[in-house]
Amino acid sequence: MMMASTTVESAFLKIPSFGFVNPNNATSKLVSRSSVSLRFGFHFRSCATSSASAAEPASASSPSSVVNDGAKLGPGSLGHITRPDFPILHQAVNGSKLVYLDNAATSQKPTAVLEAIQNYYESYNSNVHRGIHYLSARATDEFELARQKVANFINASESREIVFTRNATEAINLVAYSWGLTNLRPEDEIVLTIAEHHSNIVPWQLVAQKTGANLKFLELTEDEVPDVGKLKEMLSKKTKLVAVHHVSNMLASVLPIEEIASWAHDVGAKVLVDACQSVPHMVVDVKKLGLDFLVASSHKMCGPTGIGLLYGKSELLNAMPPFLGGGEMIADVFLDHSTYAEPPSRFEAGTPAIAEAIGLGATIDYLSGIGMERIHDYEVELANYLYNSLRSVPNIRIYGPEPSRVFKRAALCSFNVEDVHPTDVATFLDQQHGVAVRSGHHCAQPLHRYLGINASARASLHFYNTKEDVDDFIRALTDTISFFTSFK
Amino acid sequence: MQSLTQNLSFLSPLFSQVSESPEPKKIQLKSSFFKNPIFFTSHKSVHSPDKPISTEVFPKNPIFFTSLKCYHNPDKPISRNSSVSCITAHETPLQPLTMPEKVHCLACEFKSLPEPIDRVKRLLHYATLLPPFDESGRVEENRVKGCTTMVWLEVEMDSNRLMRYKVDSDSEITKGFCSCLIWLFDGAMPEEVLSVKTDDLAEMNVGMPSKGHSRVNTWHNILISIQKKTKNFVEVKDKDRSLTEFPPLVGSTDGFSVYGNYKEAQYMQESRQAGNEVEGPT
Repeated sequence: MMMASTTVESAFLKIPSFGFVNPNNATSKLVSRSSVSLRFGFHFRSCATSSASAAEPASASSPSSVVNDGAKLGPGSLGHITRPDFPILHQAVNGSKLVYLDNAATSQKPTAVLEAIQNYYESYNSNVHRGIHYLSARATDEFELARQKVANFINASESREIVFTRNATEAINLVAYSWGLTNLRPEDEIVLTIAEHHSNIVPWQLVAQKTGANLKFLELTEDEVPDVGKLKEMLSKKTKLVAVHHVSNMLASVLPIEEIASWAHDVGAKVLVDACQSVPHMVVDVKKLGLDFLVASSHKMCGPTGIGLLYGKSELLNAMPPFLGGGEMIADVFLDHSTYAEPPSRFEAGTPAIAEAIGLGATIDYLSGIGMERIHDYEVELANYLYNSLRSVPNIRIYGPEPSRVFKRAALCSFNVEDVHPTDVATFLDQQHGVAVRSGHHCAQPLHRYLGINASARASLHFYNTKEDVDDFIRALTDTISFFTSFK
Repeated sequence: MQSLTQNLSFLSPLFSQVSESPEPKKIQLKSSFFKNPIFFTSHKSVHSPDKPISTEVFPKNPIFFTSLKCYHNPDKPISRNSSVSCITAHETPLQPLTMPEKVHCLACEFKSLPEPIDRVKRLLHYATLLPPFDESGRVEENRVKGCTTMVWLEVEMDSNRLMRYKVDSDSEITKGFCSCLIWLFDGAMPEEVLSVKTDDLAEMNVGMPSKGHSRVNTWHNILISIQKKTKNFVEVKDKDRSLTEFPPLVGSTDGFSVYGNYKEAQYMQESRQAGNEVEGPT
């Protein structure tokens, strides 16, 4: 098995290495920071800004030029304009230009967010809610301002309906253990879908074991979307909670949450929505949707890791017991008992992720500066381009619904290549072409089992991706398939 | 193990002389053999998207590699810096590589590959060398847990107390990892298998975290599985052996029959408690 070091090698033809790409290079010449702004619809909600969190995209503050809406993916697209704001995208990986298509796993962070976090640590790092000195007061103000921004972003009634958690997973666990253990009885039912992320399955399994409640799972239609028609039939007086995703991280399907919430409330059930794949990509209005609980993760919406959010209606949060115990969540502590703070503090034990919360606030400023409707419109175009491009590659199986008037797809595609393991595909894409996709079960093992597969590859986009990213991906994928085919 | 002559006979046109001695590890090879890089190296042909890569340059006979690579000159220590140090042809008697030497050889080989993609291609080549795996072995109890790919592992101990392994995967790159691990461990003593650390094989990583447990660190998971199952075999065998090897020393309340040492007595007590009849040695 040992080989001599002197090899007869010939170079594989590869895309020329770009090395470190200057953000002001030819790609963005048409859209340099100083020369372009966009015909954006600025969809600011009434969120206040501060010097620490001003985070509009640099391009948005530039003089106007017209974006050709008819060619949304062409030069001057939202992706081209915003790319300079993301320094991480301008690098080479394994000798090839990085093409980052793993946004459903985590998104990249714009400079404005990075600067906000750095500014916090450089200028006013201090513990919140406790000190009376200047630094603490400023940190507290910025922390609570971030909470208000989140509330505005999803149209919550007040900032007290926003609980900061470590991530969406912790947020679901909070609801499961705090609301669930208090409100679930034997034979009660929790309705989920088989397409849920593990984070929206396992906590309910744990709580169901403790309470004697039952889990019911909605299956898919032939179009590979959750069978919403059957969902209504599954609901009954026994249903206490409907916990579903808004956008599937594997199928790319979008559930009609407003309808589902209405049906659930008709039978007296509460609704929890996993909005991890929707909040970063579209307008989400908790009042319009009629939600009781919503969870999301900052790191999937261009914010820092380590912070997530739970939205809960005030009356629900007020009635929920604590989840974690410790400092900050108490009112008074005695040796034999303690009294607890009001929400959201009741559910935020210990020192919070202050820098991360402020970073999340900066993220919301940045996204709001672009406009979530603008982001959504662009990503719909990109999603269609990705799907159609991928579909044109032979021997590819894409999962989820075909885009149509009925079925809108998110900007991601999970797929398999005939006779080539997705891990092999992803490895070759990375090592040979610098294309980053995910392979595995995407934290959706029940869904994979239902579809009869062990794993899949997934390419997922965000608004800073471009048509050229998709083209590079398709070229690289074609080469990958060719390699493995000839190798066999 | 096949004789070296039998292993190398298919290469007879390249040999000026191949002989077998009573200490059957003495070989002479035509010098041109070593000048021909094909049998020692991967050959990366020009690959363009329009032209599929040729794989015929990769020699596929595993026996050649298995036999030649396992021997080295005990008088000539393996140099960490030499990529050819593990393969030598000389006139002095050869000895099998020890496990540390084999691990070092493997690590050196992968470390010598200049580009990460070269490791991928090397692994794909080694995947073709993995022996076929019986379909009946693809059962849940043989699955290596915690991997993003499917891996099945069968472990046995032969009559010489050497470990025997069969492994397969649905991913070609993972099969390549498996092939390397099988080369290391198949036919090794249990203690040798257990002595290998995951850090020793970090050079084999292809774009994955070199340390730490992760679902994508497949070879790490397979190595741990191999070692766990090997350890189980050792414990079972040790238990069986202790019952047969040691003379009875402990007296029982059932009469003058005496039974083995502490371990044996413990085993017998457990068996009685389970309601099984236990027959002590006479």
